[in-house]
Amino acid sequence: MPSRKAQIQKQLVAYSFIAPNFLGFAIFTLVPILFAFALAFLNWDGSNPITWAGLSNFKDLLDDDQFKAALRNTIVYAAGTVPLTLVCSLFLAVILNQGVRGKGFFRTVSFFPYIASLVAVAAVWNMIFNPEKGPVNMGLFKLGFEKVPGWAADKNWAMVTIILFSVWKYMGYYMIIYLAGLQGINAELYEAANLDGTNAWQRFRYVTVPQLRPTTFFVLVMLTIQCFKVYDIVYMLTQAGPGTATLVLVYDIYNKAFISWNLGSASAVAMVLFILVLAVTLLQFQGEKKMQ
Amino acid sequence: MRTTKKGIVLMLILALVTGFLFANGVSETATPAASSTTTLKWALWDISSTTYYEPLIKAYEQAHPNVKIEMLDLGSADFMTMLQTQLSGGDSSIDIVTIKDIPGYNNLVKKNLLMNLNAKIASENVDTSLYGGTTDQISVGGNLYGIPFRSDFWILYYNKALFDKAGVAYPSNDMTLAQYDALARRMTSGVGANKVYGAHYHTWRSDVQLFGILDGKHTIVDGEYSFLKPYYEMILNEQKDGICQNYATLKTSSTHYSGVFYNNSVATMNMGSWFIATLIDKIEKGEADCKDWGIVKYPHPEGTASGTTLGTITSLGVSNASKKKDAAFDFVKFVTGPAGAEIIAKTGTIPAIKNDKVISIISSKKGFPTDKASAEALKVTKTYLEMPLHEKAAEIEVVLNQVHDEIMTNNISIDAGLEKMSTQVQKILNK
Repeated sequence: MPSRKAQIQKQLVAYSFIAPNFLGFAIFTLVPILFAFALAFLNWDGSNPITWAGLSNFKDLLDDDQFKAALRNTIVYAAGTVPLTLVCSLFLAVILNQGVRGKGFFRTVSFFPYIASLVAVAAVWNMIFNPEKGPVNMGLFKLGFEKVPGWAADKNWAMVTIILFSVWKYMGYYMIIYLAGLQGINAELYEAANLDGTNAWQRFRYVTVPQLRPTTFFVLVMLTIQCFKVYDIVYMLTQAGPGTATLVLVYDIYNKAFISWNLGSASAVAMVLFILVLAVTLLQFQGEKKMQ
Repeated sequence: MRTTKKGIVLMLILALVTGFLFANGVSETATPAASSTTTLKWALWDISSTTYYEPLIKAYEQAHPNVKIEMLDLGSADFMTMLQTQLSGGDSSIDIVTIKDIPGYNNLVKKNLLMNLNAKIASENVDTSLYGGTTDQISVGGNLYGIPFRSDFWILYYNKALFDKAGVAYPSNDMTLAQYDALARRMTSGVGANKVYGAHYHTWRSDVQLFGILDGKHTIVDGEYSFLKPYYEMILNEQKDGICQNYATLKTSSTHYSGVFYNNSVATMNMGSWFIATLIDKIEKGEADCKDWGIVKYPHPEGTASGTTLGTITSLGVSNASKKKDAAFDFVKFVTGPAGAEIIAKTGTIPAIKNDKVISIISSKKGFPTDKASAEALKVTKTYLEMPLHEKAAEIEVVLNQVHDEIMTNNISIDAGLEKMSTQVQKILNK
């Protein structure tokens, strides 16, 4: 039985290892987050004395057109991007997990959008999808479509453009996660299924999908959080336009905090976003538990 | 036991060293300066592409050998946000502050980050009458927190070679909007790579909306915007008829206005006078295809005097957190004063003090168009601020930009758009 002193010393050593990381986290993440929560109930422009606001920052949001548009758009974006990315990355992973020739090359190609610079690919994407001179619309026009989409310049298509771009950019990353999941499935399960005379679809439906459930759950949670936090893609593709067609919550937070310098209101939106993400994640955890 | 102790000691040393390393990383390394030298830090943007910073500093340092001016480049795109964040964070190392726009100036004043210059202006006998009324436009309750050093205004640039080729007379210094529209239509020609657009409107809302305030009857912070209808109609019709480039295309391709002027694809372009210095510089370096150009006064609505235009003011102020306010004000006084104005004018940039000498310096600069009309175009009669000083200017601007974007991309009709603009701005005003 080690002495009490030795135990304390051992713990101190452990804490000293954790300390550098924790201090960094506390100073740059934890304290600002707690401060942001407090700010949601205060009025502050960053310089003048802070005053108490109570719930007025939240009440104002109910009548705030910018916030309402941002909330609606963020939900639409997440609802569009999450399932599409999930399906596309799973499909890619399943295909590239087979003995296809050149699968290394195709895996790299699929992963490339994820690592490529957002600024560069967004510029190229906007050129390709340029409503007037872009090759996509020119192609559609040549194919006989008389009314071609305005993509990022049309309020009905701007969100679709952003969703398509996001799916294209994210799916390579989640494909890698799915590939790891697929390689972890016991080959004997497929052999047994083969002996039972199953076809490819049945093997996918009754072996692959259930075996990948933990991976799918992980992908779902990560992807949902990522989608609710979207900002950079919107900034690069549409700058939240046309009008407020692609204004998302984080964009609204930026506008409120650094354009209007209304840090209380910005923090209130941040809190709504936090609660939204938390609620969706908890729901997903509950769903996962039920399925188990 | 000994090893554990050793481990703890090692960890502590490591933590200490790391701490020092980080501490050194964020703090500035103090260079021992001669005790008599005062170093002032000037927050600004685009050092490499702005030609007047260096000569201004050089002239001031020559006259004041015990003062050293250091530049702090905060970048152009988010300059005001960066500056406000730095100053709000209590950064006392910045002494002199460049104020890029009115909403930003208003925010800095509201946040008490700028020194009230009234007392200094009085004690140092700064003559505010030299500034052509611009100091009144940025005075907050009778107090000045900045002094203008640049005062740009909007003019019409045109490509002489394209006019010569089309056999059309150059634009004049007195053009109504209807005449300007007709001229733009006459100057449009060609297809594909040879297409020449008669007019060019950059994606800024100012390019369309501000024609509406030239008659002096309305301002952009009124909260009622139906008066903008004729201007949106004129420009959307031009867009529909291919007289100017499509807004959506310009926006999604992030086309810069300078590029289309350099490569001879637009015959006329309404833009601020800040483009003069850049254009001269690019042509001199051989980086622009358009070599023969001119400027005329801004087109105006029927019944408004010629020479009525829009203006932007760039000012200098002193940070409230500065520990060297007197020295900083002295530099501000120099840059914004007549001597500073002449140095700025020599680079082809329009200073806030626009006397005959300054105008003649700019118009006689090498590369400036030699025709009389271009020199005359620099003389403005009345300037309205692009964004007047208003407590909620920044918030209003967000709505104006958003709805402008919707109207110009035909995502909303002009009437519905202007109605939306009015409703949303009124909501902000009534908050």
